[in-house]
Order: sequence, then C-alpha cells, then structure tokens
Amino acid sequence: MKLLTLCLLLLVNLIAISQTKISGIVKDERGEPIPGANILMKDSYDGTSSGANGTFTFVTEETGVQTLIVTFVGYKPYSQSLELSGKEIEIKISLKEEINQLDGVVISAGSFTAGDENRRTILKAIDIATTAGATADIAGALNTLPGTQKVGETGRLFVRGGDGSETRTFIDGMSVLDAYGPSAPNTPSRGRFLPFMFMGTSFSTGGYSAEYGQALSSALVLNSKDIAEMNQTDIGILSVGADVAHTQVWDRASVSGKVQYTNIRPYFGLINQEIDWKTPPISLEGSGAYRQKIGKDGFFKFFGNFNQSSFSLFNHDILDPTIKKQLDQTNTYRYGNGTYQQSLTAKWSVQGGLSYSYIKNDSKIDGSPINEIEKGIHAKVVVEHSVSDQLEVRAGTELYSRDYEATRYNSFSDNVESFSFSEPISATFIEGEYYASNHFVVKAGGRLETNGLNDYTSVDPRLSLAYKPGKQGQFSFAYGTFRQSAQNQYLRLANQINPEKAEHVILNYQIVTNRKTFRVETYYKRYDQLIKFQNINPSFITNTGSGYARGVELFWRDSETIKNVDYWISYSYLDTERDYLNFPTAAIPSFASAHNFSFVYKHFITSLKAQLGFTYSYASGRTYYNPNKPSDEFNSDKTPSYQDLSANVAYLPKNNLIIYLSCTNLLGHDNIFGYRYSTTQNNQGEYVSKATHQAAPRFLFLGVFITISKNKSVNQLPNL
Amino acid sequence: MKTINIFLLMIISITSWGNDEKYFAQMSKQVHAVYTAKTIDEYQVAVNAFDRIASAEKSRWEPYYYSVFGNIMMAINEKDVTKKDSYLDLALAGVEKGKALAPDESELVALEGFVYMIRVTVDPATRGQKYSGLAMQTFGKAVSMNKYNPRALALLAQMQLGTARFFNQSPTEACETARKAATIFESAVEPQNPLAPRWGKEMNLEVMQQCK
Repeated sequence: MKLLTLCLLLLVNLIAISQTKISGIVKDERGEPIPGANILMKDSYDGTSSGANGTFTFVTEETGVQTLIVTFVGYKPYSQSLELSGKEIEIKISLKEEINQLDGVVISAGSFTAGDENRRTILKAIDIATTAGATADIAGALNTLPGTQKVGETGRLFVRGGDGSETRTFIDGMSVLDAYGPSAPNTPSRGRFLPFMFMGTSFSTGGYSAEYGQALSSALVLNSKDIAEMNQTDIGILSVGADVAHTQVWDRASVSGKVQYTNIRPYFGLINQEIDWKTPPISLEGSGAYRQKIGKDGFFKFFGNFNQSSFSLFNHDILDPTIKKQLDQTNTYRYGNGTYQQSLTAKWSVQGGLSYSYIKNDSKIDGSPINEIEKGIHAKVVVEHSVSDQLEVRAGTELYSRDYEATRYNSFSDNVESFSFSEPISATFIEGEYYASNHFVVKAGGRLETNGLNDYTSVDPRLSLAYKPGKQGQFSFAYGTFRQSAQNQYLRLANQINPEKAEHVILNYQIVTNRKTFRVETYYKRYDQLIKFQNINPSFITNTGSGYARGVELFWRDSETIKNVDYWISYSYLDTERDYLNFPTAAIPSFASAHNFSFVYKHFITSLKAQLGFTYSYASGRTYYNPNKPSDEFNSDKTPSYQDLSANVAYLPKNNLIIYLSCTNLLGHDNIFGYRYSTTQNNQGEYVSKATHQAAPRFLFLGVFITISKNKSVNQLPNL
Repeated sequence: MKTINIFLLMIISITSWGNDEKYFAQMSKQVHAVYTAKTIDEYQVAVNAFDRIASAEKSRWEPYYYSVFGNIMMAINEKDVTKKDSYLDLALAGVEKGKALAPDESELVALEGFVYMIRVTVDPATRGQKYSGLAMQTFGKAVSMNKYNPRALALLAQMQLGTARFFNQSPTEACETARKAATIFESAVEPQNPLAPRWGKEMNLEVMQQCK
C-alpha cells in the first residue's frame, strides 16, 4: 500500500511538472486576426479556439516533441512540431488561404458553364428545359446566350461569325460526329442528345482548353450524369409522339434508358406548313446510360444513342412552281461512348475513353439515289497530376479516325460515282493550371496535331488567365489557335486540302453576386486557310480563304430582385467578313447578323403551381446573295430583322404529374431567313427570288409527363 | 510479484477509467455548449472542441456527430452562401468519418440527410430537385436503420411539410410522420449511451403546429 501511494504521488508529480503553457495569435496572410481557429495538440484533448482578436492560450499535459495543428474553414491546415518541456511557448501563426473552387478566381473568358452544384454557373441544367422557345433542346437554350447568332432555319449553334459546323460537341470528353438530327432544307434541326442525360454543360464561345481540337469556333462539352439515385419510370405523352424512360439503381451501378417516338403527321394536318410534305418526319430514337463503380475509386460510364428518321417532301421550282422534285431522306444514326476513370493515388489519376459515331444518309431526288456514310472512332487517354494544391497538370493523347464515303448515281454517264476519304488524326496535348492565389490563375498549354490524310502537322498554343482584384468582380483573358478539317463536301473532293484555322483573343469582365450575374466580353477572331474556290469554280478547292470577326457582348441575369422571378438579357454585337468559298471578295456571310438580343423570363406562380416562361429574341437582318446585282455588290442585300416571342407553361397539378404547353412565335412575326433565286433567268432577264420563311409560323407543343417512383416528390420538371 | 501484478492491473484500470471519465466529462460539457450555442462563433468554439476530442479519441463516433451537428447549425445561421457550402462540406466530411466508425448508426445518416436539406436552401430553384430527393431518401434510410429515431422522423416530416407547401397540399403525410416522432420524443426511454443525441423535439413541435 505504501508503495502504491508513493507511485501515485510520483505520478501526480510527473503530471504537475509536465504542464506546458502555449499562447499566441492566429492571423491570415494580410495580418488580420482570425477568430474561431482551432488550435490543438495532435492526438490529444489539449487545445483551444482563438478569441475575437485571434489570440489563444492553453495548457497541455503532453510532453516531448508533439505536433501543434491549427485549422480554420477556408484556410490550409497549419502544423508545427513543438518541444514540450514545461517552459512556456509563445507562437505566431499565419494561415494561408485555401484555393477555393467556389469563391476563388476562375477563368471565365469565352466560357459558359451550366451545372447544378456551382452557384456561379451562368446557366443551370434546368434552364435548358425551362427556357421558352428552346423546346428542351440544348442548342435552343444556349442560343439565348451572348456570342451566338440566331440562324433560325438551322437550329444549330453559330458562334461569333462562325458557321454551324464550327461548333463541336463532346460527351464526357469524347468527340461526337454530327450532333444534330437531320432536318428538311430550311427547317430547324434538333440536337440528338436529350438534355436530361446530362448533369453539366460547358459551352465555350472561344479560347477553350487544349484538350479540345477539331473545332474552329466553339466547344460544347456535355457531362453525362453520375450514378442515378433512385428507381423511376417516366412516361410522356406528347402532341407529336410519346416517350418512356426508366432508371434502375443498384448499390454501385445504375442503368437508364429512354425511347422516344415522334410523328409530326397528325400535327401537320392541323397547322398550315410552308413545306409541301409528302410524308412528314417520323423518328424513333433511344438513348441509354450505364454507370458502374469499380473497386475503390474506379468509375465506368457508358452512353449510347440511336436514331432512325425519315421524311419525304416536294421541292418546287422557283420559276415554275408546278415543276416539283421529290426528296426522300432516311437517316440512321448510332453513337456510343465508354469512359473509365481511375484515381491512382491522391495526386494522380487517369481517364480513358472510346467513342464511335455512325451516320448513314440515304437520299433520293426524284428516285435518283445519293448515299452517304460516315464512321468515326475517337480514342483518348488523359493523365492528371496535382503537383501541389496550386498546380494541376493535364496531359493526354488521342486518335481520331474517320471514314467517309458518298455515292451518287450520275444519269448522264449512267454510272455510280463515289467520293471517299479516310482521315486519321493523332493529337497530344498538355496543359497546366496554376493558382497563384485566390486572386490569380493562369492556364497554359498546347496541342500538337497530325493529320494523316494530308500530312499536315500543327502546334496550337492556348493561354488563359484570370485576375480577381476584389471579392466579386474579375477579369479574364484568353488566347489560342484552333484548327478543324474542312467539311466533308470539300474534303471528299480534295483530300489534300489543309485544315482551316482560327485565332481567338478574348477579354472578359464578370461580376457575380449571390444571385445576380453581369458580364461583358470583347473578342477578335482571325480566320485563315479557309476553303476557297479558285476563280469561283467549286471544283478547284484551295486554302486561300480568310476572314475576321470581332464584337462586344453583354449578359445580365437576376434571380434575386423579384421574388419567384428569374430573367436574363443578352446582347451581342458582331462585325465579321470573310473571303471564302465562292465569295468574289470579302463580304459578310449570310449566317451573320450584327445585332442579336435575347430576353428570357421565368416566373414561378406558387398559387397556381405553375411556371410561366417567355423568351423574346431579336436578330438584325442577314445578308443574302442577289444574282441580279453586279458581283462587287456580293451579299450586300439584307433580310428584314428576325423577331420571336415564345412562351411556355408548366403546370404541376400533382407532385408527379406535369402538363406542359409551349408555343413559339406568339405574335406570328413573318421571319424571313433569306432568299433563294431561280437558277435561270425569266423572260425579263431576271433571276426570280423566293423568300425562305419559317416552316410554320408557330410551333405548338403539348405534353403530359408522369413519373412513377417510390419517392412521390419526384417529377420530370428538370428534364422538360 | 503478486503486489506488482495487482498494482499494474490497478494502474491500467485507473488510466482506462480515467480516459473514459475524461471523455464523458469533456463530451457532456461540449454537448451542452453546442445545444445552447446561439451564434456562429459559439458553435465554432464547440465544433473546435469536438474536433479536438475526435483527434484524440480515434474510435468514437460521437465527437464527429456533434461536430457535424455544429457545422450544420453554422450553415443554417450563415448568410453568405459560399460559407454555407463550406460548412456543409465540412459536415459531410465529418459524416463520412463517423460512418466509417459506426456504419449502422441511424443518427449519423439522419445528419447526412440534414446536410442535403440545408444544401437545398442555398439555391432552391436549381438544387431543389436533386437535394430534396436525396434528403428524403437519406431520411428514409435513417428511419429504416432505426425506426425509433425521432430525429430522422422529425427531419423527414420537415421535408414532407415543405413539399406539401410547395404543391399547396394538405400536410397530412408530414403530420403523421411528425406525430410518430412526437410519440417517441415523449416516451423516450433514457438512452443507454449518455452521449446519445437528444435534440429535435422543438423542431418537431414546429411541424406539429401546422397540423391543427
């Protein structure tokens, strides 16, 4: 017993002599005190929080060499070894700001992102569904953003004086060939990919990353959804067809699929159309997604889409409308891509992907067939390395391979003519992103591309940076050169033709507060090596074309000021000319309009359980070619302006039921997209013109959407 | 030899008992602090204390639980939406750490759902769809893990009430759930674990008030 008492006494003594008092102050890099920081001795109870003036004092019973850790939200953890001997320690701690993805500087020049997570996204995923006039088409919604020009008869994305083919679509980083569905001449086509399949969209109007090639003007990057959260079945009954979708979820995997049947025939019976249809479009399309977690941090995604569509119509001669030619068209489309993502360590990760596109177009003009088949494979491997929390490096290599063949029957020679090419492109890119602080970031890289068809090698630098002087506003700058193979109809005739080239310089200012965004952007874009016909003869294809585009764009979005109201306004000014194709001199191309304006308004009316939306779009007149004018007045005529007021209503009578009604061009404005001229002169020696009107003055759409799931609060609103 | 053995045994029992006592004493003090905190600063001090305890006690889930709870409360009180998200990020990281220690603990899953519920408030128009569903589902999971967890039920009732309000419907379902929660709150048998969560009764009463 005596022994024990002695021991205990000794123990108490030991404790008494081993107490160390630690005091100090916690500040940030600018010397401002940080209150509420956590100061602790690693693996012990000992420690405290810093007070209002950043100071702290505590006593620890630990002895020897121990680690002091200081943490505070938004700052990097600080640690330091201390020798605890009972002697009082005073310490000054300076915490470094953490690089913050949410609040820090981001490169915004030329880019719009749409997603759910980040509040700073310009457009939310749901906007694609709820923007009036967009009719749930991705391109339709993006066409309300600055940098795009309304080219109503195509439905495609025309960016900053660029043609529709200069915008390239990528799904999970993998290339997509022909992202738009087929459409009759001068009727808008829709994107092939249904917005509900994607959780995020990044739309770049210039200056994009070295990762994306084969796009002169714009990259549309769609990220497909992760593993779905719950089983559900969605049924849609539409005025133009029906669709059904189902999602099945397992522990580590999910599969979802959607099949849609569209038949516009009953609808066309009701509303007068500009087009003389023999058989209006009928299409069957489906898409599927499979996601699987593999191992601890492996993730596999598969995405697939098929589409089968056909129509038949009569084209009337302009001089003598009683002469007509029948056009039949059948389009078959298949797309599939698989990507796999694996973290190797905390700092290294690798992604690989493979995509396949197949497009078959069978047309007949008065029974004379023209067939086109294009197959494309894209394989890609990307390695990502976090050198530090400030420097991230991405490098990758990829291979594109395209096989194209067009055949047509030549009635004069009674022969089947064939044009084809096989184009392999290999590319390597590397890009580093360095966050100097939460106020300055720079991203620099380059892309090396070799085209095997014409043995053309190019190196394209890309640079972007952003500076955020204060809490909210920031400046961004981007520069880069971009290349894209000539379009199929030229490449098939002249395999040796070089890729076309564009150079972008962009300056942007953006200010984002809680729920308001303002941005202004200006740019200069130079085109080089464009396709040009020598002596205006389309069989002599050269790379001597050139052009430029410059402009100023404004964007304002406010979902804060008026309760339940969200609106945005965009305006783009474009000044562009090019000397390409059959142009006798530099002129404004017919897809370009100088002024584009959009106003999008959404109002949720709680008492009616309905969301109401309006979109007003305006585009100033576009040039067109008038063969009656001398060649030095090429493309000098302009169409009247384009105006459209669209509206939609989504009504939710029950949690899982939505009734959706939308109508385009409420005011019935007669939009003229251009004029076509007769190929021969009439008796007065003039070429006769015919205006290209909208296919129908209005498009009315009614849909009923039902969702069946265990969770009754789920509906299809985000997908509409 | 015998004496030494006994002595060693005693030392061991004293230290281990001492640790347990220290743990319960410290935790009880901080649990009281987090329940009575009013301002973000007060919550931060309590959260810091739980984080320190978690750093010393590597096998206990309760310090993570209360640290997460404190972070959620800070997120609720914070006006700046970016900071709100930062607190919720920390809360979710805490939930994961807690779940690694106590994978079957319904209370931790209920807090996970709570994080999703507050995520919605940052930007209801765009986050509503994803996070409301996720919150509902997670509360459902917490209830299925322990059908007598009144907090899981009370939180579920809140979500159901929100949905009913959004669609202008009568809150029958929410009231039913809240009533179930109330019964458990009232009849609560003193839990075996003195550090078991006890909050949520008032929050449930607020839902109940809509049920007259």
